[in-house]
Amino acid sequence: MAFRALRRAAAGLGSAQVKWWKGSRAIAEPAIVLLLLALLWEYAVGIFGIKRYLLPPLSEVLSALWRGRALILGETWVTTGEILLGYACAVVAGLLLGLGIFAWPMMRRTLYPLIVLFQGLPKVALAPVLVIWFGYGLASKVLMAFLFAFFPVVVGTLGGLAGTPEHLIEHFRAIRASSMTTFVRLRIPAALPSILDGCKTAMPLAVIGAIVGEFVAAERGLGHLILEANANAKSELLFAALIAISILAGLLYVIVELAAKRVWWRAL
Amino acid sequence: MAGVVAAPPAIRLRDVGKTFSGAQRVQALGAVGFDVAQGQFASVLGPSGCGKSTLLRIIAGLIAADAGATVEVMAHPQNAPSDDVGVVFQTHNMLPWLTVEKNIRLAAEVRRLPADEITRRIESILPVLRLEGFRGHYPHQLSGGMRQRAALGQILVLLPQVLLLDEPFGALDALTRDQLNVELLRLWQDLRKTVLLITHSIPEAVFLSDRVLVMSDRPGRIVEDVAIDLPRPRDPQATKERPEFARYVVHLQKLMGVA
Repeated sequence: MAFRALRRAAAGLGSAQVKWWKGSRAIAEPAIVLLLLALLWEYAVGIFGIKRYLLPPLSEVLSALWRGRALILGETWVTTGEILLGYACAVVAGLLLGLGIFAWPMMRRTLYPLIVLFQGLPKVALAPVLVIWFGYGLASKVLMAFLFAFFPVVVGTLGGLAGTPEHLIEHFRAIRASSMTTFVRLRIPAALPSILDGCKTAMPLAVIGAIVGEFVAAERGLGHLILEANANAKSELLFAALIAISILAGLLYVIVELAAKRVWWRAL
Repeated sequence: MAGVVAAPPAIRLRDVGKTFSGAQRVQALGAVGFDVAQGQFASVLGPSGCGKSTLLRIIAGLIAADAGATVEVMAHPQNAPSDDVGVVFQTHNMLPWLTVEKNIRLAAEVRRLPADEITRRIESILPVLRLEGFRGHYPHQLSGGMRQRAALGQILVLLPQVLLLDEPFGALDALTRDQLNVELLRLWQDLRKTVLLITHSIPEAVFLSDRVLVMSDRPGRIVEDVAIDLPRPRDPQATKERPEFARYVVHLQKLMGVA
């Protein structure tokens, strides 16, 4: 009965209202899920008698986030700098490596296996060495973010360039395009969707890299803040820092995704 | 001038063979030889896998024939792609990130033609292909038939003397295909170009061509050169209802072992 009434009401809605409902659903549905999870966190802690130092209720975490906002923002700023620098290096180097490996068979035979081999190495294990080499400061974190993030860009670039359809390459040959023209007007745009997929995958990896770098040895940054809060048994500050990291990672990913939307065509 | 010197054939082939060497040696073409006169509409008819696409790529200068072959287009040896030849394949060659107009423009830009010349050619080609209203559309917004017309535009913009068509409408439904074939004939009559069409459809070859060259199974050879003596301009209904039309079709079916 109620269902039928609801349907009738929905049928009576104008198209503008339907549009509004559809548009707001994209926001409303995840918001409701998030709210339910927040409520679960807040009350489950009390109901199941979880100890404060293991998991403080959400309200305490949020209040710690608010009270420590100056500190957290400052540390977030430091970490953001490391991530962005490392990510920028990863994108540039990944593109150049991808192009190089694609263009020179010699590089494909020598450098590519090395990169793949290096990719199998747990980069966490490299962090102490990087600290010895590059010190406690910015450089070692940027390098960690870079090392975590560059591989997907290489793979995306290579895959995109190699995946250019054969019949289009033949068409360019038939209209007597030079290899440079074919590269700029065909291979690059054809590879862009795949390159951007690589760049999207690389973004969260750069965040992980920077935080791992801070874990090993740092005086600033969100990773360092987590270790410090843990050592001082301030678990609400620890969770506040975790929230800050996930918001930062989410924001950075959304920015990359929005930028990538300009390339609307998909793999051919 | 004198006018006694006969015009050279648009396409001249002698002893054109092709063997692909690889893990297995595959002889795709036997010794193929024929001429296509300037302005003629000729078709190469053969079963799939008989090497007719290989033949077309050799004429286009995209791949080399085996040693000893003669491949000439407009009296020039064709050992690389040239301005005289345009090729349209079954898979259209539109770039998905460019509009119809920009796709057609691309080929002319690659050849570094002056900008005003490119614009002039595009303005004359778009109406001929009935694409004026779609110049700003992207390939995915077009129907299959429109896409193939635009692909034809990508080639016509370079004003080639010889058009090589490798089943350009093969992927389309029968109705669209018939319509495009009628348009192709109109285009051929207006532009006075030489056309070499590759197809495995017997009625299509008979309806369009002055001549049908029948190819055998691999390794491909020309088994018969059939002159199609049907009056032009051809009409999609009237031409196909003529008794000669049916006789040509049956004859070609026998040659291809279908009947």
